[in-house]
Amino acid sequence: MKLYCLSGHPTLPCNVLKFKSTTIMLDCGLDTTAALSFLPLPLVHSPRLSKLPGWVSKDGAINLEKELKECSGRVFVDSQPEFCLPEKELLDLSTIDVILISNYHCMMALPYITEHTGFTGTVYATEPTLQIGRLLMEELVTFMERVPKAHAASCWKNKDIQRLLPSPLKDAADVWSWRTCYSMSEVNSALSKVQLVGYSQKVELFGAVLVTPLSSGYSLGSSNWIIQSHYEKVSYVSGSSLLTTHPQPMEQGSLKNSDVLILTGLTQIPTANPDGMLGEFCSNLSMTIRGGGNVLVPCYSSGVIYDLLECLYQFMDSANLGSTPFYFISPVANSSLEFSQIFAEWLCQNKQSKVYLPEPPFPHAELIQTNKLKHYPSIHGDFSSEFRQPCVVFTGHPSLRFGDVVHFMELWGKSGLNTIIFTEPDFSYLDALAPYQPLAMKCVYCPIDTRLNFHQVSKLLKDIQPLHVVCPEPYTQPPPAQAHRSDLMLELQPPPMAYRRCSVLGLPFRRRYERIQLLPELAKSLVPSEIKPGVSVATVSAVLQSKDNKHVLQPVPKPAPVPPSKKRKRVMEEPPEVLNPKPLLSGAVPLEPFLATLHKNGIMEVKVEETADGHILHLQAEDVLIQLEEDGTHIICDNNEPLRTALRDLVLRFLQKL
Amino acid sequence: MDSDCLSLLPAVCLVLADPKQSPPDDTSLEKLLDWFKEMHSQSNEQVLLQHQPCLKEFISSVCTSKTTDPAILSFTLKLTGLLACTKQGFHLLEVGGLLVCVFEREAWFVCDLWEDASVRSGWLQGLLNMLKHRQALDFICGNGLLKVILQLQNDGSLFVACLANQLLVHILNFLTSSNMTNGSDAVESRESSLSPDWVSVSSEIMNGVVEALSSDDHPRVLQGLRLLSSVPSQCGEPIRSTLWKDVLVPLEVLINRGSESLTQPLMTVLQAAVMTPLLGQSEYKVKELLEAMLGSGNKNESFQCAALTIKLEKCPEVLKRKAIDIVLLPLQCVSAQSQDTAEKMNLALKEQLSKKASCISHLMQSLSSLEELAYTKYQFEGISIHSVTSSVVLLLRICSGHYPSSLIQNNASTRLIGCCKVQRCGLDTLGALSVYEENLNIRKDIFGVLLDYLKSPDSHATVLKKTYQATVSWIAVCSPFPDLLQFISHDLFPVLKKRMCDLRWEVRDSTLEFVTQLTVALNGNSGFIEALHTSGMVSILLSSLADSEGYVRASAVAVVGEAVDSSLHHTVLVCKSNLLEEALKQMMTILSQDTEGFPRRAVVKAFTSWLKGSHLVTAVHPFLSSVLSLGCNDFDWEVKMHTLELAEVLMEKTLTCCPYAVQNFGSSEKELMQALSKLKEFGLFDLLFNSLFDCDRPVCEKACALLLKLRTLTSESADFDSTLVLNVNGNRWGDEVQSRYLNTQQAKGSVCTSDERMDSGLHCIKDISLPMILHILDLDDMQRTLRLSSDHVVNSPRSLMEDILSAAQQSEDNIVDCY
Repeated sequence: MKLYCLSGHPTLPCNVLKFKSTTIMLDCGLDTTAALSFLPLPLVHSPRLSKLPGWVSKDGAINLEKELKECSGRVFVDSQPEFCLPEKELLDLSTIDVILISNYHCMMALPYITEHTGFTGTVYATEPTLQIGRLLMEELVTFMERVPKAHAASCWKNKDIQRLLPSPLKDAADVWSWRTCYSMSEVNSALSKVQLVGYSQKVELFGAVLVTPLSSGYSLGSSNWIIQSHYEKVSYVSGSSLLTTHPQPMEQGSLKNSDVLILTGLTQIPTANPDGMLGEFCSNLSMTIRGGGNVLVPCYSSGVIYDLLECLYQFMDSANLGSTPFYFISPVANSSLEFSQIFAEWLCQNKQSKVYLPEPPFPHAELIQTNKLKHYPSIHGDFSSEFRQPCVVFTGHPSLRFGDVVHFMELWGKSGLNTIIFTEPDFSYLDALAPYQPLAMKCVYCPIDTRLNFHQVSKLLKDIQPLHVVCPEPYTQPPPAQAHRSDLMLELQPPPMAYRRCSVLGLPFRRRYERIQLLPELAKSLVPSEIKPGVSVATVSAVLQSKDNKHVLQPVPKPAPVPPSKKRKRVMEEPPEVLNPKPLLSGAVPLEPFLATLHKNGIMEVKVEETADGHILHLQAEDVLIQLEEDGTHIICDNNEPLRTALRDLVLRFLQKL
Repeated sequence: MDSDCLSLLPAVCLVLADPKQSPPDDTSLEKLLDWFKEMHSQSNEQVLLQHQPCLKEFISSVCTSKTTDPAILSFTLKLTGLLACTKQGFHLLEVGGLLVCVFEREAWFVCDLWEDASVRSGWLQGLLNMLKHRQALDFICGNGLLKVILQLQNDGSLFVACLANQLLVHILNFLTSSNMTNGSDAVESRESSLSPDWVSVSSEIMNGVVEALSSDDHPRVLQGLRLLSSVPSQCGEPIRSTLWKDVLVPLEVLINRGSESLTQPLMTVLQAAVMTPLLGQSEYKVKELLEAMLGSGNKNESFQCAALTIKLEKCPEVLKRKAIDIVLLPLQCVSAQSQDTAEKMNLALKEQLSKKASCISHLMQSLSSLEELAYTKYQFEGISIHSVTSSVVLLLRICSGHYPSSLIQNNASTRLIGCCKVQRCGLDTLGALSVYEENLNIRKDIFGVLLDYLKSPDSHATVLKKTYQATVSWIAVCSPFPDLLQFISHDLFPVLKKRMCDLRWEVRDSTLEFVTQLTVALNGNSGFIEALHTSGMVSILLSSLADSEGYVRASAVAVVGEAVDSSLHHTVLVCKSNLLEEALKQMMTILSQDTEGFPRRAVVKAFTSWLKGSHLVTAVHPFLSSVLSLGCNDFDWEVKMHTLELAEVLMEKTLTCCPYAVQNFGSSEKELMQALSKLKEFGLFDLLFNSLFDCDRPVCEKACALLLKLRTLTSESADFDSTLVLNVNGNRWGDEVQSRYLNTQQAKGSVCTSDERMDSGLHCIKDISLPMILHILDLDDMQRTLRLSSDHVVNSPRSLMEDILSAAQQSEDNIVDCY
């Protein structure tokens, strides 16, 4: 059993598990942080961005004016933003049988894996994961295609040039594997390979293993997976949450008794408590609005935004925000808000029960009805005529490199009254803000990450007791910025196996058993004999048939009588000749009675020597040695076959035959 | 009143003694006893028993009855003791053996009543009540009751055991008191020795204590220690020293055994001893015992002992220092950054600190002891207050997850992250440490950690509150430093602005309270006021007036009031930020429309404090009459009270403007007149008269007091009669005044006799002069009635007795009904 790690990112995993005869990809997360190296894509022509000076090395030797632009001391690539894909060279992607998706954030690289690689397998995901994942991909594609770039920059990737570039471009790894965004047709093709599953549904893969998604409590339809055969169980935990937010709570019981637990997707900000951050978010928002400023919240179009809106819904009146408009701008804003309301069965109990009242499970429906929350596909069109300030705008993309957020950064960045509040933990907010410097707008970092923290995970592991834990390397040491926080790492016994990008881990357990089915007629023919109380044994002679990873023992077919009339001899597929097997022996030869029997049979002179495993009997007159051991008896007797046979029969008297 | 009660007494006694009646509840019986006690103290040796033979009958009937209720018996025992506390009373009860009959339980008809704890406690209480004279002690000792008391010391009921202890201490105390010595040489004989008659009594009790202390039975030891802890403070010599000498050996054994559960009682004993001259005499080893309790800080209980030792008054300085060393150890070890501090840590402490619960409790002990020492501004020796304060700062950092990696006790640290208990305690201590001037040069660190707590999104609301308290105390001592303003405007204000928008109303509330305290603490600091106005704080404060939570609105009103008050010198600032105008507008809205009482009360209070302020705010004046009338008609009685306080201040301010003191009254009568007319314009008299007839007693009382003041002022002059008249028509109080006015006129016989004339009279008395109104309202009588609490009728002993009687009556009726 092996694990191929195609991504080293702890929360955007992409691993391949080879288990029995199957090759299973666990998630395919797309690391979009590479986009931070690129210039933002403005929706409206930005004189500031278009006037940025090109970069020329100090000695003037390298001139990449067209490709690289300088902005407040940093260099950015002026091209369509690119993303860092999972490793494609570690194994042949066409051999992958299935891809299991745990949540919609962890499937963004799917088109890169399933298209143009020869992939012929199936993707398994829950319905909300598929639908919201599709929205996020659609949004990403729209963001990119709305602002096409005439030419793609690639000279800077040249190794000899790259090493001369200023940081952080100089240090970017695997730049040649960076790719621009996929197209809508690729998205559609990739998603057509998805097969929907429900929680706790057992899906059989080639008869070899069963995979089951379990609720993970992190987002709508998010799941952990159990991959098990009859005798082995691997659990894959990715992006789980024990907090009470909108999704169904995490199912923990079924994770018990795992041989291996692959643990990914813990919180990215272990020191930030989501409740505290939500409080920070609300108070900063309210403070800005009271001061007459606008609030910009760069966020994904699904996920935490539902909780933010719900929290604001409760907070608004008490904070005198009743008349402040909230805008949600995204190409998929409408679908996202509406989808969330129809996946009732995937929601927490509290929200599910609302559906029967009947009420919409999320309060954002009421916000929309009362015109407090308005949503638009983009800043163009209706929005520009209805826009009122001060206001709160939720829009993507949280990297601040593309999407409508770029426009608001240009619009509001100059005023100290406005505030940008970062709630998504995926990007470093300082890096995200770099191309907008100098910035007068206030910046607040309230990362809200509801995934498991180290305290919760150590409790969980204590509870479910897996034999081995596999996790990304960063989880085995404290965060670099807090080197002394020994509580912010996994401390387990035995220590967890750590992986990084391109690792191939041999998982530390050996398969020892395989289940075989016995056909009824064969079973009927067995004659068990009890060898000790409760244990009966029978010998089986049968033909083992293995098909679709299932093993069946069938009765030995009787040799077909040779038709005598046939003249022509033909090569017949002879069934294997069945020999009557020698009987199997069981039992032990007791020393004293055996000596007595020898004596009765005229063997008088026996010298008994005790050994570590049993006894050696030296029949002195006959010069024969009999070794009596726990699992074997040897009669050593040179050139005296009758005596050996006689002695053998004496030994056999004490043993049971099957 | 008492004569009424005495007439009811025989009937009450009959009811109580009647076994068919269910006894009144315990509270009634206790109240009845209280009344007896009061009667006794007032009777000046006149014996109640003599005049009330029913009492004796009652007592004897209870004791001889076969069906006495335990509650009644207990009551009787206490009552008998009370009646026998004078020599005369004792004598009356002793005659005929009644006293023996009461207190000898063998004499009772129902013996198993003793099983009831309330009876035993009544028995002890009775003896305690009685033990005021020598005969009583004779009685106790002569009848062998002392043995019973000693037994009761180990009674299963804690109340009984405690009472027995009290009684024993009382006996010991009594042996040395002047009651026991004859005549003039009382004082000398007290000092010298006990009369030989009583030696056996005292030694019997003392032996009991020694036995208890040497016993293996834990509750017995506890009782012994309890008794012992009362003796040094309550008993004189020679009992004190004799007893102490006797118990010294078992006490030493107990201390050296070191049982954690006995630490507290043992310390109480030693604490009592420390307060007496025993401490100074080496043979009594008080100091040694205390030292032994402390050990060398290597036992678990030594931390608790050390914490208790620090609290001891008159503790020898050497011991105190040792205790401080011990008690600070956990704090120093957890925040140890160098190996030498860590070396101080012994095994016991190491083990304690490795467990979360004990680590937290030890740290809390360290911190609270330190806090206590800081309150007395204790001068540490051998420990620099600097390093102690730094340890507290570091501990607070540890608790919030920010700490240096050089910490020795890293394990303990991760356990403390986010621990609210330690955070709160540490912040209290840090606040208390602001009394040491030496700490002023680490104020940067201190403000740094406080700011971290204020900023942290994970700070609990209660922790934030404590942080604010600590910050206020530090800001108060740092106010002379120029860097303070920098800190306030650059670091503190941005955080406060955010906290005023917090999700939790408790946080918003305590933030506003903090700003109020800050403004008070830095009153007169013009830099601060300027920062307050220029930083945008004012607009957020004003917007808090519309908070959704009533408490927050109330605090916002208070802080805005304070801000207005302290900004008045800075006219430019006030005008620029529109503070006063906006504040007045919103406050009037709150007073007239807010649905909750707290904000409305706060508004009236703010007006009061503005008026009280040295600079009379003229801008406020146009609003005063509205405030008075709104406040007067409020539903909330506290708003009305505050309005009356505002009226009081207004009266003082307006009337002191003119020197109206009696001596030069004549010359300034005109000014007084003007002042009063001004008050009339404000509607003050309407307020006072309306409040006088309010439905809430405290409101009426306050109004009455203010009117009395006015009366004194106006009665001096008759001139006001014609000039200062009030319209009495069409309001609540006017009707009352009118009818009283007519009554007085009728009494004089001068005016109306027929209906017609009364009508015309009514017509003509639409306006009555203020002095006249004050005169016809019998304010003195009103004040007298108002002073009595509203339940004075219900609470009287007479009503108690009537209740007892009527309850009995009713139960009889019920029986008839049932039949």
